[in-house]
Parts: sequence; C-alpha cells; structure tokens
Amino acid sequence: MIDRPVANVTCLGCGCACDDITVVVKQDRIAEARNACALGVAWFGDGTVPAETRVNGRTAPLERALTEAARLLTGATRPLVYLAGDVSCETLREGVAIADRLHAAIDSLAATSATAVLAAQRRGRAGATLGEIRQRADLVVFWAVDPSARYPRYGSRYAVEPRGVAAPQGRKDRTLIAVDVGEALGPADADGRLAIAPADEVDSLEIMRATVQGRTVGEEARFRTAVELARRMTEARYVAIVTDGEPGTPSADPARAEALVTLSQALNAPTRCALSTLRGGGNRSGADAVLTWQTGFPFAVDFARGYPSYQPQAGAAALLGAGEVDAALVIGTPATLPLPVATALARVRSVVIGPRASAATFQPAVAVDAGVAGIHEGGTAFRMDDVPLPLRPSLEGARAALVTVRALRDRLGP
Amino acid sequence: MSKPTRLRIAGGTVYDPANGGGAGGAGGADGVVRDVCIEGDRIVAELPASAPRLDARGMVVMPGGVDIHAHVAGSSVNHARRLLPEEHAADPMPAPRLDDGAFARSGSGGTVPSTFATGYRYAGLGYTTAMEAAVAPIAARHAHAELDDTPIIDAGFFVLLGNDDYLLRQLGAGEAARARDYAAWLLGTTRAYAIKIVNPGGVEVWKGGGDRRNVSGLDEAVGSSAVTPRKILEALAGAANALGLPHPVHIHCNNLGQPGNAATTLESMKALSGQRAHFTHLQFHSYGGAPGKGWASAAREVIEYVNAHAEVSVDVGQVMFGAATTVTADSPVEHLLYASSGRKWVNVDIELESGCGIVPYAYREKAAVAALQWAVGLELFLLANDPWRVVLSTDHPNGGTFLSYPELIRLLMDRAYRDERLKGVNQKLLAGSALLDGLSREYTLGEIAIITRAGPARLLGLTTKGHLGPGADADVTIYASDPDRAKMFATPRHVIKAGALVVEDGRLRRAPAGRRLAVRPEYDAAVIKDVKRFFDQYACVAFENYGAEPVA
Repeated sequence: MIDRPVANVTCLGCGCACDDITVVVKQDRIAEARNACALGVAWFGDGTVPAETRVNGRTAPLERALTEAARLLTGATRPLVYLAGDVSCETLREGVAIADRLHAAIDSLAATSATAVLAAQRRGRAGATLGEIRQRADLVVFWAVDPSARYPRYGSRYAVEPRGVAAPQGRKDRTLIAVDVGEALGPADADGRLAIAPADEVDSLEIMRATVQGRTVGEEARFRTAVELARRMTEARYVAIVTDGEPGTPSADPARAEALVTLSQALNAPTRCALSTLRGGGNRSGADAVLTWQTGFPFAVDFARGYPSYQPQAGAAALLGAGEVDAALVIGTPATLPLPVATALARVRSVVIGPRASAATFQPAVAVDAGVAGIHEGGTAFRMDDVPLPLRPSLEGARAALVTVRALRDRLGP
Repeated sequence: MSKPTRLRIAGGTVYDPANGGGAGGAGGADGVVRDVCIEGDRIVAELPASAPRLDARGMVVMPGGVDIHAHVAGSSVNHARRLLPEEHAADPMPAPRLDDGAFARSGSGGTVPSTFATGYRYAGLGYTTAMEAAVAPIAARHAHAELDDTPIIDAGFFVLLGNDDYLLRQLGAGEAARARDYAAWLLGTTRAYAIKIVNPGGVEVWKGGGDRRNVSGLDEAVGSSAVTPRKILEALAGAANALGLPHPVHIHCNNLGQPGNAATTLESMKALSGQRAHFTHLQFHSYGGAPGKGWASAAREVIEYVNAHAEVSVDVGQVMFGAATTVTADSPVEHLLYASSGRKWVNVDIELESGCGIVPYAYREKAAVAALQWAVGLELFLLANDPWRVVLSTDHPNGGTFLSYPELIRLLMDRAYRDERLKGVNQKLLAGSALLDGLSREYTLGEIAIITRAGPARLLGLTTKGHLGPGADADVTIYASDPDRAKMFATPRHVIKAGALVVEDGRLRRAPAGRRLAVRPEYDAAVIKDVKRFFDQYACVAFENYGAEPVA
C-alpha cells in the first residue's frame, strides 16, 4: 500500500464524530490523525488490530468459528446480543436481525445514557443538531459538565468557538455560563458561573422553570442565583443547555434528566432553547437509531416473545446479573463494554465478533477479530445528535465486521 | 438465466383508469373484465395460454397503490418512533411466516411503525409505492438506510428546501440560476425524488429566536427583505419545472392548522398561477375564520380554485378519528400544538436546513376542531371535479395512519355510512360546511383507482406505475369485492409487487426488497465551488461527507 493521507475521516472516539480528520498512513500504519484531539488520537492509534480467530481460546479457521458460534447461539435458551462500540450501522442492522432470528434479548452501548433517553420518552425534548447550536446560540449554559474532558472538540467545533450565522464573531458573540453542581464543574473559562448543591439541583431546575413560566417563586437565598440565571436565559435569543448524558457525576437521577428537559422546553415560550445531551463514541447513537427503526425501541429490547418488547429496567446488565442469559453474542469492541456487562459475561458462553475480540477479558468461547469501523471499514455512523456520517477506511487488510456478522446471520437460517 | 416468471390474472374486473378502463370521470364507469398478464416484473400484452393463471373472476383488479405523501422513514420519523414506546408495546408485530423460507422480521406498529412493519403493512394494504414526504438533506443517508430496511414497497423521498440557509442566501442575492443549480445538485447528492417546501421561511424565523416565532403572510421578510415566502415558492416551483423533474414542487403552505389560513393557501396557489405545483395535505390549509375569532370550513373556496386550475394538484391529508402522531418539519406549529395540548413534544432544529417537531395526538369525534377538520377533508374530496389532481392521503401519521385508508375509502364511497358518521361528530363548527348540505356524491371504484394509484403515479411522473398497460411495473392488487368497502380495501386478496406474489389469499407470503426512486438532474457545476465555500464557513459536516452517496 502506498503511503498517503486520507481526508475527511470521521472519528468515533467520542460522540462528537468529528469528520475533519486527516489520517496519514505510513507503511500500513496510522502515523498521524491530523485535527484529532487526544481522545481521537488514542482511538485511531496506529491502526493495528489483532487478526485472530479463536474457538475456546485456540486458533481456529473462520468457518469453524462461525459454525461453533451458530451452534452455541441457536442452542441457547436465553441468548443475549450486545451491540458494542466501533461498528457501523450496516453491521448493527445485521446484529439486530440476528437477535430477531434468535428471539434473543438485545441491548447496546446506547443504554449508558438510558436516563436521558427515558426522560425524553416521558416528556419529549427541545433539541437541535450540534451545528444549529453553532449557528444560533448566544447563551450557552454548561450544566454540571465541562465537555473538554470527554468531548474535547465540542467547544471548538460546535457550541463555543466557531462563527455561526447568528454569531458572526463566534465566541465573542456568546455568553458562557458554568453551572457547578457539587464536584461536577462547568468549563473554567466561562463568563459567569454559579454553584448548586447536588441536593438542590432538581429543585433549582424546577424553580428556574417556574421563573421562565412567570410563576411566582419563593425568595429562598439558596435559589437566588438560579432564578437570576433563568431570567437571563429568557432574555437571550437562543439558549443552549449542555448536559452530559453519559454516566458519572452527577448521578443518573430520572427527576434531574426530566427537569432539564422540561426547563429547556419551557424556555421555548419566551425565547428559543435547545438541550444538548452529550453522548459517548463508538457509534452508540447509531445503535440507538438502528434499534429504534427496526424495533420501535432504542435499547433494552427483548425478542423472546417473537416480537420486540421494551425492557428498560431489564437490559443486558440486569439479565446477566440475574443469571438469566446462557449465551451471548457481542458485536463490536469488547473493551467498550460497560464494566458490569463485561464482568458478567465471564460467567456465560459468548461469541465476540469485532475489533480486538480476541483481547476480550471475559474469555469468549468464540472470538473473531475484525477491523474498526472508520479505520478499516466503511459504512455509516451517527453523531451524538443523530446526524449520519459516512465512515472512510484508511487502512486495508483487516477482516470486515459486516461481512463476518452477515456470514453468521446466514448460518442461523431463516 | 432462468425464465422470467409468468402469470395471467384471469377474468378479474380491471380498473385501469390510466388506460381508459374504469376511468369514468365523475360519472363513474364499471371496470372491464379482462386478463392482466405478467412476465418477470412487467405487465405484458399477452402470454401463451399455458402460462400459470390466477383466477380473479368476480374480483376487482387494480394497479398497486401509490402513496404520494407519508412520513415513513428518516430522522424525524425515527425521533417519533423513539418517543412512542407505549404505542409500540401495544401493537407488537411478530415476524410473518414467508413462503419461500426467507427470513422475515418482527417489529412494532402504532402510529409510527418500525421499518419492517411499515413495508409489510403497506403491502398488506395493497400499496406498493410510497413517498417519504420530508427529509432534511443532512439526514438523507439516514433516510436511505431506513428505506433499505423497509421491504416490498418502492420508495423515494422529498428533500426539504424551503428554509435552507444556502438557498435563502441565493434568493436574497438575486441568484436565481444558482439557486436552481443548488437544488439540482442537492437532489442528486441526497438521492432524493422531489423538492419539498414546508412553511416557506417560517421555520427559519422560528429557529432565529427573538420576538418573531413564524411568518404569517407571503410577503413577510425572512431575514433580508428580499426573501419572502412568495419568493421561496416562486424560486423552487420554477426550479422544479425548469429542471424537468418528474414531480413538481411539493408544497406545505404557511399557516398550517390556523383558522383563516385558506386565504394564505389561495394566495400561494395564485402566486404560482400557470406553473405546475403540488399542494399537500390541503385539508390542514383550508380553514376559514380568523385567529382568536373561531374556525369555519373554507373547503369549498379552496377546492373551487383547484377545480378551475389544471396546473394545481393536491393531496387531501384527511383527518381520521383516533390516534395520530403529528410529525413535521413545520416546527413552530408543533410548539403551538404542544402549548395547547400539553402533550409530550420533540423539537429538533436542523443545522442550516430545516426543523422537526413532533407531538402525539388524537382526533376525537366530540372535539369541535377535530370534527371540523374531518369534515373539511371530506368536503375537499366530494367537491373535487378532477380526481386526477386530488389524491387520497392522511399525511400519515399526521391525520391518521395509512391503515385508515380503507375506512376513508368507505366514507367516500358510501353516503349512508358517511351521513351516519356525520351525525356522531361535534357539530359546533360545521355551520358553513357543505357536508351538512347533504353532499350526495359517492366515489366509484374507478375514481378510487384514480385517487389511490393512477392519479398519484401520474402526478409523481412514475410512468410505469399506477397503470396496467404493457411495460408497466407488475404491481397489482386484487380485491375480493365486498359491499363494505372498508373491509374490501383493508384486506386485499392478492398483492403482486414487481411480479412477485407478496400477498396470497390475504396473507403476506413474500417480502422482496423494494426499489429506490430518485432523480439526478443536470446542473452547472460552477455552483459546487460556491457551496463548498459556504460549507467552509458554516457547516460542521465536511462537504465531502455530505449527501447520501457512498464514499468508500
């Protein structure tokens, strides 16, 4: 292969899905990922992936591995399919088809932001694609999150720095407010900040909503700054509230997630507002979208009855924890699995197809290494705001996850 | 190469209005008893007598149904699906058992079904073609992926352009030619079928924040005073016609759902006088009265204009009583519906292009406005002179789902049934409605064949659809005749799609993939340089990654 740069590559290192990366390939390795942040550089790495095929820990031909995988899965009484990170939507579609065929339970990395998804299912949401926040927002409120840690280029590509249609001077045309909730701090360089005690967070959001709606609120001193912020929001032209949908501090409190939704909705009476819920990488938003269009539900789906049913309280972690699952198929990079899922998988027979499958810590019965979507394989991935982006492979040679998963599907028969 | 499949549909009563059979016009003619011959995926003039036969004696044979306007695939539809877990739980769809041993998929229904359920249910209804009515260009790749997972039906989509930032800039700068080139480029790169306008300028104003929430008139400024809803309508109607697109510009007018909006609708039609244009879900745009001063029907006024202007076509967007989900790029309207209904609400502002609003809804017989909407839709149908230009639709799932089409057909064909239903609805706002005057018209089967297949196919420029002449696609629906027209149209006996018997004896038997319908008009490539410059300044998707073409 000739050394060359590949431009306009989409990075799946986090949910920002920056598609302006130039990957420089030298001697079949990634030498540089230009424009990528530290997370992105780590995600691309040097592009080398193992190419093992293993059955019960021993190297085996692919045919045998697929036959064994099919035998294991079709013989299970309570199979689970888990859609992990770093696979394309095209591969995910095949994964859902397998779960449907097996009458399996299926879950995905999208479940990590279940609290935000469930709040949006109860109340809806007022949102925007990231680019529209860039175009419009004159007041950006970072609610207990500093995106620079887990979403490093969020500020430079979307909400803060870039020039927008209604923010021709970029950062200068925007006011940034950091809301610090306990230890969860907003950005250090905000134009203003306020601190809210974690125990007061939901009440603060409710009082802010009451303020926005012109309802009288008490004059308690501890809510004074929140009320001031609410008033300031109503005076802005277009408010963006940025919150982290992924786990961590603060806790995944359903009331908090719902209060953020209803506040952002209420702000659309006096002005405009979008809630931007940050989500992680690996194309987990693609898993959410694919599962939704194929089944009607975004995560934690169970095909046991021969049709999809929604079990948001009994997703993969719960089923595995309860010892219900007797065989699992993981599609994607095992290292992206949430810890409880990875830990519990050690107790069941499993098949892993995906990047670095052979490095899975839970000792799968069948491990088939494949390339990384976006590095070795093309297809489609979704940004955290559901904008679809094409994937551009920069390296050749790795086994394609799509072809492999499809081959497994074909072996399961109609 | 294997011999193409042959089939003679023998002895059915054939309604093929595009080829003169059962056309009938308003007077209505019976169908013609004849055979329909299929070879491969096409209709042919004749087959040897030895060809396999499907006995259709006593049955009604029509081309496969063509839905000119429905929301079935793409990011807005998927947002709606995600919002409705309770509906999906209440309407599970186990995988059908297919004849050829093929692997079928399960899914879920409700007002916004999963993709596989959408394909199977359309086919089960005798529809073999559907147009997704609103796709933001940036999400085109998503819409295609969903259509790939929507089996059986041939499908395409309309791409949203009426609030597009780049387009509006060209209009503001008086660059009409560049605007046209841009539209052509966008259609091709997103693999779309037609140009869609939704509330021209209104969504842009809503997204802009500040004091203004929407536009209300055709000559209101959108940003620069050089850009108005009228200018947007003129530019895009002109572009669609100049580019020779198979379907003219597809317009959702300003002021949807507002009392008194018939004036805006008529003004929009007049603005495009003499040019081909399709006005969609006309029912939602045919109200009299005035904001804050009550509602009335203005259906007669609006449809009389349509009747008198051959360049205008419409689909009705009938409201049907029961559950619906309103999902539209007309996001300011959804905010009003959210504020008045208190239901859950999704809004997504889509960068530089469009909007998306969703509110689950239900139309109740006892609600005055819903009853008026129901009556207005029926008036439009019953007062229309030319069925070729007035298409059956419910703006699925906005006015009701596509599964309610059979009930709607019964309302049109069966006056006694309609009058009975009319007695049960809230009469408060029906004072000026022609329905109360006892509209006696009953649609004939020939006319139903026009408004559900021949007409929409012709308006979409789908020359091989909506008819059963030699060379047409072998998309055929066969109904067992039943005086209960709702029952008859809900459960076709056989459905043939591209020559494959997909529904046999009322059961889904095969689920082949459908085909994609898309256009690729020519344009002056100079526009690309300018669009790239715009992308460099404002977009946060790389120009090279935009659209729906494969990149690797």
